[in-house]
Amino acid sequence: MDYLTFEKVTKRFGDVSVVSESSLAIARNSLVVFLGPSGCGKTTLMRMAGGLDTPTTGTIRLGGEAIAGPDRRRGMVFQSYSSFPWLTVEGNIAFGMRYRDDLHAHQRAERVAHYLKLIGLEDFSKSFPNRISGGMRQRVAIARSLAAGSDVLLMDEPFGALDALTRERLQVELRQIQAEEKKTIIFVTHDVEEAVFLADRIILFSARPARVIKDIIVTKILGATRTLAARESQEFFKLRNEVLHLIRKEAETVR
Amino acid sequence: MMREVLTFRGKATAGTEFALGVAAAVVVLLLWEVVARLEFVAPQFLPPPSKVIAALWTMATTQHLLWHSLISSLRVWVAFLIAAAMAIPIGILMSSYRIVGAPLEPMIDFIRYLPVPALVPLSIIWFGVGEETKIFLLWLGTFFQLVLLVADDMRRVPHEYVEIAFTLGARPRQVMTDVALRSMGPNLVDNLRITLGWCWTYLVIAEIVAADSGLGFVIWSARRYVKTPEVMAGVVVIGLIGLITDQLLRALHRRMFRYL
Repeated sequence: MDYLTFEKVTKRFGDVSVVSESSLAIARNSLVVFLGPSGCGKTTLMRMAGGLDTPTTGTIRLGGEAIAGPDRRRGMVFQSYSSFPWLTVEGNIAFGMRYRDDLHAHQRAERVAHYLKLIGLEDFSKSFPNRISGGMRQRVAIARSLAAGSDVLLMDEPFGALDALTRERLQVELRQIQAEEKKTIIFVTHDVEEAVFLADRIILFSARPARVIKDIIVTKILGATRTLAARESQEFFKLRNEVLHLIRKEAETVR
Repeated sequence: MMREVLTFRGKATAGTEFALGVAAAVVVLLLWEVVARLEFVAPQFLPPPSKVIAALWTMATTQHLLWHSLISSLRVWVAFLIAAAMAIPIGILMSSYRIVGAPLEPMIDFIRYLPVPALVPLSIIWFGVGEETKIFLLWLGTFFQLVLLVADDMRRVPHEYVEIAFTLGARPRQVMTDVALRSMGPNLVDNLRITLGWCWTYLVIAEIVAADSGLGFVIWSARRYVKTPEVMAGVVVIGLIGLITDQLLRALHRRMFRYL
């Protein structure tokens, strides 16, 4: 079923066309990766879904309702400045709930405890972000959106600044979190391997202005469960190379 | 200890740093004492530090030095607090809303470059020679600088924080109080501390021109009778007050922003 839909969306910044007419339908409870060359406009498309940018033409809908601006149903996770340095880990996770008056104090506390456990940072609940690792900070950012009650997570190269091992672990964890919490995730990256490993579905974009050039249902090829072993399978390499060729060809057209 | 301080880009413990700082001050004072005692320079130009300290003692015990210091501090703090109370909200609005920033920025930039002493005559015409003139001059020297610093602090709040707050359901007002103010806090307090220091610079100008009290007045009247030790003692007091205030504000900064 279509949940988040982009209907003939375009975006121009002044004279520069960033997104050329794109239509997309994203199913609920799926992890969709927006993949494309750097600066192609995929981030802008995702930001418009967050309500942080407005389409020049076209409409984006969540559950049938047109998106007019940012709200807590669609939470953002950025690569840097992702957690508030003046709040502890648990303060960060609780942050979004201060704008919800439908939750009692004990419900808030329960939710904080739940998401602390989900991201495995119970022992760091009182730590400030600059005392924990970059990977932990990204986990905190994810938990904060979930605790606030986001249905959709919009992630803008969230693991881009992490070392390879941490990044791999977080990719595995993100898929687990997505399965447990049943959230819809749009994940923007330019890293092909990350895209193939993470995605239920990859939308491959052209160089700027962004246009969908390929829509790949990864679950049909790699299945729904991904372990680190899946990373070494024949199917994984085959798909990765295929996507890599497509994206290389695309990157060459702009040179 | 010798090794670590002599190493290229080496580090030293806090104790070593402190000891070296004190030692350097003692050496300078001793050199000064010797040079002055040997009268290489006429004593009315360069009295030895021992004479300055003696003058400080006499001034404190018989010439109401503490009272003058208090008056000066009061002037500085009143003017500074007025300037801060105006500059913080105006600076924040300037960088948050172009309707406030666009008209004010060029004007403030212009006034900022007017030298405060040049405005002394105008200030006396407007406010006479009472307290108002001094407060006005101090305010003038700090407000226009501070407002731009505050605007800049606000501008440097990472946009990610603002957008995260919006996607967590915050309204603009809440983004301002819960995110922007918290994020700019450390820089803001730092800038307040620095601007307070500038206030002391203008204080002396204001008190030299029109006052019968305060440290600027003390220094200026001592000069009239070429009481060089008294002049130096007055300067030293201002320096000490500055140093102590600065250290207190730094300590406050550390307490307020433990997460840094």
